[in-house]
Amino acid sequence: MAQARTAIVRTADRSAAERLGSVSTGNALELRGVTKLFGALAAISDVTLSVRPGERRAVLGSNGAGKTTLFNCVTGDFLPTSGTIRLFGEDLTNFPAHERIRRGLRRTYQISLLFGGMTVADNVYLACLGVSRGRFSLLRPRPSDAIVARAHELIEAVHLTRARDTLVSALSYGQQRQLEIALALAGAPRFILFDEPAAGLSPTERSELVAILSGLPDHIGYIIIEHDMDVALRVAESVTMMHNGRVFKEGTPEEIENDAEVQELYLGGGHG
Amino acid sequence: MADVLPTVAPRKSLLALERIPAPVWVLGLLLLAMPAFASNFVLFQIFGWSFILGMIALSLMVLAGYGGMVSLIQMTVAALAGYVVAILGTSGVTQISLGWPWWLYIPLAILIAAVFGTLVGALAVRTEGIYTIMITLAIAAAFFYFTRQNYGIFNGYTGFNNVIPPAWFGVDWRQAVPFYYMTLACAVLSYLAVLWMSRTPFGLALQGVRDNPRRMAALGFSVTAHRIVAYTFASVIAAVGGILLVWQNAQVTPGTAGIPQVIDILVIAVVGGLKRPIGPFIGALIYAILSVFASDILHAIGMSGERFKLVVGLGFLAVVGFSPDGVLGLWDKYQARREANRDPLLGGGR
Amino acid sequence: MSTLHNLSTRHPVGTIVILALVVGFAWLIFAPWPPGLEQVMGRKRVFLNAIFSGVTLGALYFLVASGFTLVFGLMRNVNLAHGSLYLLGGYIGYGVVDATGYWLLAFPVVFVVVGAVGLLLQHQVFRRMEGEELRQTLVTIGISIVLADLMLWYWGGQSYQVLSPQWLSGPITLPFVTGVRPNGQAVYLSYPLVRIAILFAAIVIGLAMWFVLNRSKLGMLIRAGVDDRDILAASGVRIQYVFLAVFAFGAGLAGIAGIIGGTFQSLSPGEDTRFLLASLVVVIVGGMGSIPGAALGAVIIGLAEQIGLVYAPTYSVVFTFLIMAVVLAFRPQGLLGGRR
Ligand SMILES: Nc1ncnc2c1ncn2[C@@H]1O[C@H](COP(=O)(O)OP(=O)(O)OP(=O)(O)O)[C@@H](O)[C@H]1O
Ligand SMILES: [Mg+2]
Repeated sequence: MAQARTAIVRTADRSAAERLGSVSTGNALELRGVTKLFGALAAISDVTLSVRPGERRAVLGSNGAGKTTLFNCVTGDFLPTSGTIRLFGEDLTNFPAHERIRRGLRRTYQISLLFGGMTVADNVYLACLGVSRGRFSLLRPRPSDAIVARAHELIEAVHLTRARDTLVSALSYGQQRQLEIALALAGAPRFILFDEPAAGLSPTERSELVAILSGLPDHIGYIIIEHDMDVALRVAESVTMMHNGRVFKEGTPEEIENDAEVQELYLGGGHG
Repeated sequence: MADVLPTVAPRKSLLALERIPAPVWVLGLLLLAMPAFASNFVLFQIFGWSFILGMIALSLMVLAGYGGMVSLIQMTVAALAGYVVAILGTSGVTQISLGWPWWLYIPLAILIAAVFGTLVGALAVRTEGIYTIMITLAIAAAFFYFTRQNYGIFNGYTGFNNVIPPAWFGVDWRQAVPFYYMTLACAVLSYLAVLWMSRTPFGLALQGVRDNPRRMAALGFSVTAHRIVAYTFASVIAAVGGILLVWQNAQVTPGTAGIPQVIDILVIAVVGGLKRPIGPFIGALIYAILSVFASDILHAIGMSGERFKLVVGLGFLAVVGFSPDGVLGLWDKYQARREANRDPLLGGGR
Repeated sequence: MSTLHNLSTRHPVGTIVILALVVGFAWLIFAPWPPGLEQVMGRKRVFLNAIFSGVTLGALYFLVASGFTLVFGLMRNVNLAHGSLYLLGGYIGYGVVDATGYWLLAFPVVFVVVGAVGLLLQHQVFRRMEGEELRQTLVTIGISIVLADLMLWYWGGQSYQVLSPQWLSGPITLPFVTGVRPNGQAVYLSYPLVRIAILFAAIVIGLAMWFVLNRSKLGMLIRAGVDDRDILAASGVRIQYVFLAVFAFGAGLAGIAGIIGGTFQSLSPGEDTRFLLASLVVVIVGGMGSIPGAALGAVIIGLAEQIGLVYAPTYSVVFTFLIMAVVLAFRPQGLLGGRR
């Protein structure tokens, strides 16, 4: 297990991350009154949410509940209409997306957003490059470069070594989902947003995913959107239910599972 | 454990050095030996001009092919570099030209043109996609009208004449053979620079920005910064091309970067092909040959020699209509078909 | 009204500044100038003339640019052959007036002919490259090169002027004081009638477009398409017909503008590029895809050009360019452009 962990996030990164983390106090992620309007439609309204450092949270909710929109607001894919977003105490509501990533935030996309015309290796290399120095370097990378080495570790961690030189567009669906994960683990992540990483995976692929998630170092917190209760309960210690763009319930997995309202919503018409 | 770096074979995608294939050797030798059998006119007017136009079009290829930004400012950047050479160096307009030494005005010309190109880029990348064409074209037009009206610095309508290269090593570089080798060297260098750039972290990131800007931002890249730096890189190449162009014509006027010239660079790059850096040079050679021999060809088919632009326009339309990747695209298709024919699985048909 | 209210509550300082500017400008136009001001700014007549020429030029720019911006907004096609349609319209209009002597007759003829050219382009060329914005735009460049050379071939390099009819020639006296005679009598501005007519026509056409866009079913479709083409495609409307109609209309309008431009300026090779560029700048400043934006941008650019020409001839181009650069830097979507 210990080895699996180091394969994903290196110890050096970890201490760096802890140093950064120790500067701030309080919550890893904190949303206050976040609202996003698309024209007249409130995709999310007045969402207030806080996640402790190292906490693993599952977000549940029917289609169109606003889960992905919530992620988009946090990562800066678009700006919220109102509300504030803090990451490790720092207000980054109006930061451009890349500035948030450089502060340790990561995400995966519900619909894979990869570089189809590049190899797996180049995809992961880009992810490692994006959060390190030398983004504008005009020197060609050598195999001994730290970033290249790091990319290879990541590829290995998500079991894509054999597909390393394959074009991403030629990968299977499951492999593409794994690559999505790899891109989110590059550098020294402190907080990760996983958008339905398990959707469409085979049972084997699912258990690999669960292994990767539970193998993450303890200091890395995440939010995972997951429709499958079984998966959600295995990888999360707390649950947020969303409905119609609002936070509907929060609690431990047991509380949520046994909540009468949640059951009604989820079993009666929630999937419809 | 984690500190043990895996020993890996170089990744093909990023690290493979281009093996130099035989056709490239042949082409290289041919280009080097060209002065042995080509006339001065061909060396100076066709090849010299093609290399220059190719470099300016190459700077567009960098932006469009690797960056996904179709910029029409490249010819203007080139002309600005030419103007700076004329203004800071020597020209026939002695009341304006400052007569500084070449080691000062050449770097300054490239620097000023690069700064200008970067500023235009910074404006243009604030909008997306085809807006870039509009904005860069409008700025190019503003530059044209401004140089035509401004007599204090740009000497207005007449521009500068007698702008010639310095006599390095006592050679007259406007003689056909020296000029041929000078432009060939610059063209090859900028070609190699672009090829090199495409496999560097910056080049890879630029292609990532082209393919998927949203994901690039989510990986920590500043999409805007990469685009702007691409303009800087491209502007340097365009500037060198611009200086050579001014030396070739021995003059620079507002018409050097008039709207037709600005559009011609786009035509050259598109006709040659924007996918690889060799495309612009192919396009430039076709353009140079066509424009030099157009009147002969047109007379031969019974038309007036003035209809050169009509031929260029129709040719451009044909390329855009039938082979959007230009001549390079045709070549690739031909190669692919040969491959397919050789492949036993696909049968020996067609 | 409510937007005005919003504006004044949200940006009180900005609103005051704008109001002050508007009042000051109105005073400059309507009041007789005191001698001190005449010393600084020159004769009032010169100033008023610059303003009027600017607005008239703006009207012409608007006619050209509104078709351009509509096509752009709906089809995401930067039609770089738009200037060619302008020049073509002008030449054909010249031919009609020259042959028949009826100025007004040129308008329907040109509108139909150039509109048909637009129809042909959309139907035969752009429809085949749907969704490939860049390729469509490149095609328009090719077409503009070909059309420019064909027109040069047929009409030659000389310049033409369309004759304005008798009833529109001569000056008209406008109720704007340019100065006061020593005997206390006010002198009023006199200005070519034909230019006033053009201004009037542009306003009528602009209003008509606004009404069609905002009050008719077709207009609703077009606006929906400008905002979100997927919605339009999904609504089951034969989107191709809407595209055809808009392209033909935009082309026809450019053609008509060609007659007008040929009447109060002149027609020659190169005018196509000039008006294409004017359209680009107008649309960049006003906001891409927006008709009111085109109107605002056209007036701003027209005024900047004419005022620049009178007060700083060397730098008039720089004014235009500066306006564009400032807009791009602070409001890349243009003054009245919506979100992209
Ligand atoms: N870019 C957008 N423009 C307009 N509406 C949007 C946009 N993105 C999301 N929406 C709308 O916002 C609402 C919430 O969408 P969101 O994607 O956040 O839901 P979700 O909870 O992730 O659903 P799913 O389980 O299907 O992924 C939906 O009604 C959706 O149509
Ligand atoms: Mg979702």
